Amino acid sequence: MIRTSGLVKQYPSGRALDGVDLAVPAGAVLGLVGPNGAGKTTLLSILAGLRRPTAGTVEIDAERSRVAVLPDAPRFDPWLTGREVVDLARRLTAPDAPEAATDRVLAETDLAEAAGRRVAGYSRGMLQRLGLAATVVGDPEVLLLDEPASALDPIGRRDVLDLVRRMRGTATVVFSSHILADVQDVSDHLAILDRGKLRFQGPVDDLLGTGTSAILVRTRDGTAAVEDALSGAPWAAGVERLDDRVVRIRVTDLDAAERNLPGVLAATGVRVVSIAPDTPTLEDVFLEVTR
Amino acid sequence: MTAWRLEWLRLVRTRRLVALAGVYVFFGFVGPLTARYLGEIIDRFGGGQMTVVVPDPVPTDGIVQFASNAAQIGVLVAVAVAAGALVVDALPEMSVFLRTRMPSAGALLLPRLVVTAAAVGTAYLLGAAIAWYETAALIGGVPAGGMIGGAVLAVLYLCFAVALVAAIGARLRSVLGTVGTTVVVLLAMPLLGLVEAVGRFLPSHLVGAQVGLVTGESLGDYLPAVAITLAVGAALVASAIRATGRREL
Repeated sequence: MIRTSGLVKQYPSGRALDGVDLAVPAGAVLGLVGPNGAGKTTLLSILAGLRRPTAGTVEIDAERSRVAVLPDAPRFDPWLTGREVVDLARRLTAPDAPEAATDRVLAETDLAEAAGRRVAGYSRGMLQRLGLAATVVGDPEVLLLDEPASALDPIGRRDVLDLVRRMRGTATVVFSSHILADVQDVSDHLAILDRGKLRFQGPVDDLLGTGTSAILVRTRDGTAAVEDALSGAPWAAGVERLDDRVVRIRVTDLDAAERNLPGVLAATGVRVVSIAPDTPTLEDVFLEVTR
Repeated sequence: MTAWRLEWLRLVRTRRLVALAGVYVFFGFVGPLTARYLGEIIDRFGGGQMTVVVPDPVPTDGIVQFASNAAQIGVLVAVAVAAGALVVDALPEMSVFLRTRMPSAGALLLPRLVVTAAAVGTAYLLGAAIAWYETAALIGGVPAGGMIGGAVLAVLYLCFAVALVAAIGARLRSVLGTVGTTVVVLLAMPLLGLVEAVGRFLPSHLVGAQVGLVTGESLGDYLPAVAITLAVGAALVASAIRATGRREL
């Protein structure tokens, strides 16, 4: 469990954090999002013990050695090999863990082949994966990840997100990212930070809404017949044409809509490409909260 | 891989150990050689147009040559090597890795301090041993007691210099700035030492011990400086650990 109370960080240039009360349940994966300059890195640095708050308190329900940190652009002594970096991290954080743990995390981060090479020759993506390997090798109880996938290609990003997802339940994870789809994908909790203030925190479902209140229908033949057919449906509060082939149906009774909509569409004879729930994305909510 | 092995690899793989040992070994060889053949060297480069009378070398001349080079260029190289290891926050992204994994600032700094000081001290002792042997072979024997005592005190001074680097490096993030500031402080000490009442208490007094102890001075002449050097050195180490622990990244 991580809890901050009234956290303030004042720099000479301004206030980076302004009374942040954050609570992350044990075992949760919390996505920390916010615009540039929102205070995300400052918050993570304070949680990591790398900076001191001007005011407020931090409680982390884990020993300091069990808190692992990954900066957004990790760097290592270039004359070390990848294996030496991870093994050093293992010796410092989990000296009782077997040496095999080093090889296991190197394999999980797809660095097994490059493990014997010196870090000087690693690309930025490889450095980020190496940083992640060095972070998880000690089986930490708390992980603080600052933009862990920012330098990775799509496959590397997927691997890292899978790794973060696998930590759920075994470790408390706080990770910041500008890629909101990633955050929505792996987080079960969210915190939105804006200009040093916490605008929202809580389960993802609470933020995005658990129930669908609208349905998107995409057709091949135009939407006029669909609009006409839905005008009298008691479960449809309104139909909005988004373009020539897409309508958004606001529903009052989702159960009835899901039962009856396919029949209504079939009766129109219109070729239907897709029927999908229209739930707000994190990006929609983020823009609304931070605007 | 441990923090101690990390520091050893830092010395070996960055070739800092080669630089350190190379400098002192070079001066160990060259010092007695130039003392022995100074007259011939001057004659050869003088072109026969002038006559310079050089007194016959005595054994201590070989040690004097070594010690003076070691006290200047040797210390500069030692300070540069120490700064490379001890300015832990020169690259913050790099220091995050160790800072968030080491249990304390002391655990972060002590291996760096000890390994660096050991390397500097060993390099000096190697150079001094070579100078001693070569002096004996070319010019004549130098008393072992004075030579060993002088070398130990010179190493103590070098350890003090390493501690000074640590204390300055914990406050500056720049390796170059740390080297420059340390050199200024080390140069200022002999100037302060010109005040006779103060000089024999300063760590810089130990610089002259290598020559002093083979030319008739007694170990007791250096004890006040030894005591001050140990005390100030320990305070510098404590200060470095405290400043490193308090620094924010």
